[in-house]
Amino acid sequence: MNRESVIFKFSGRLDADSFIAFARHRATRLDLPLAVLTSDNGQVALAVGGQPDLVDAFDMACSLGPNDCIVLDVEREPAPEALLESRNEGMGQ
Amino acid sequence: MSFRGWYPLALSRDIAPGTSTGTRVHGSEFVIWRDDKGGAHVWEDRCPHRGMKLSFGFVRGDHIACLYHGWQYDTAGQCRYIPAHPDLTVPKTIKVPRFSVAEAGGVIWGCFSEEDDDAPPAPKLPVAAAALRSIFADCPAPLLVERVGLLDVEGLTPDVSTIDDRILEVRLGGNTLIACVQPVADKESALHIVAMEELDAAQMKPLALWAEELRRDAESFARKAAIREIAA
Repeated sequence: MNRESVIFKFSGRLDADSFIAFARHRATRLDLPLAVLTSDNGQVALAVGGQPDLVDAFDMACSLGPNDCIVLDVEREPAPEALLESRNEGMGQ
Repeated sequence: MSFRGWYPLALSRDIAPGTSTGTRVHGSEFVIWRDDKGGAHVWEDRCPHRGMKLSFGFVRGDHIACLYHGWQYDTAGQCRYIPAHPDLTVPKTIKVPRFSVAEAGGVIWGCFSEEDDDAPPAPKLPVAAAALRSIFADCPAPLLVERVGLLDVEGLTPDVSTIDDRILEVRLGGNTLIACVQPVADKESALHIVAMEELDAAQMKPLALWAEELRRDAESFARKAAIREIAA
């Protein structure tokens, strides 16, 4: 099974708590381990890893975001697997 | 979910293998579907992908597929195949909540409870000889139950015994009927009616007409009650 690990940087008019809760819910639904790297009300950086199609689905879901956030830009870059292993918050949260 | 226990959902006869239908209990939506081996299933009526009602979907063998994007679910509620991503190993988290199901007395029953709860014993009813019909009425379930015992149509007067709050035994014109009560929503209800004796079409007709008259009577009574409430 193919795997990839990705760092996403979502920026826009974000309520960080709301956006991260939304991202956690979607990661749990997609069975993707997730780590929150940085967050403020302008940008949230997350790392996720898993099957590429599921990572793409996570990208799409978070691009829409919750009702109280407007995502204006998404940067995506490969993440070292070790980063996710060391920062993984686990799933089902 | 604010309700617990076994609820009648449909006549067994009305859900043929390979078909699905939607229903509600206290306003919550459920899909009833029957696989090609005859097993009945009661699930939340919502595809985890985009929320489409699974009752609009297609049953294929022992899977049900969502009408919207074709996601396929096995009898455990687990998504097994996503057509847009044929090579994907679908995560175990993509699953539809499902409920215990039983068929008793010619009726499909669903048991609604929290996942951790043990399901109470399924209703025990004698094997029905004939499925009469289901009626769906725009009135609360308690009113429909009340009107069963009060409705006299052309001298056909029922004698009603309450077996429990969802099962009535109705003796009507020499026949014994079992009427199972489904509270569909606050002001909607259903009765799934079976007969304990073998009946031919000619014998069923007056009983079916009585059931239709019961629906009209209960709905009329509910409308008049609503008008009285406004007028008061």
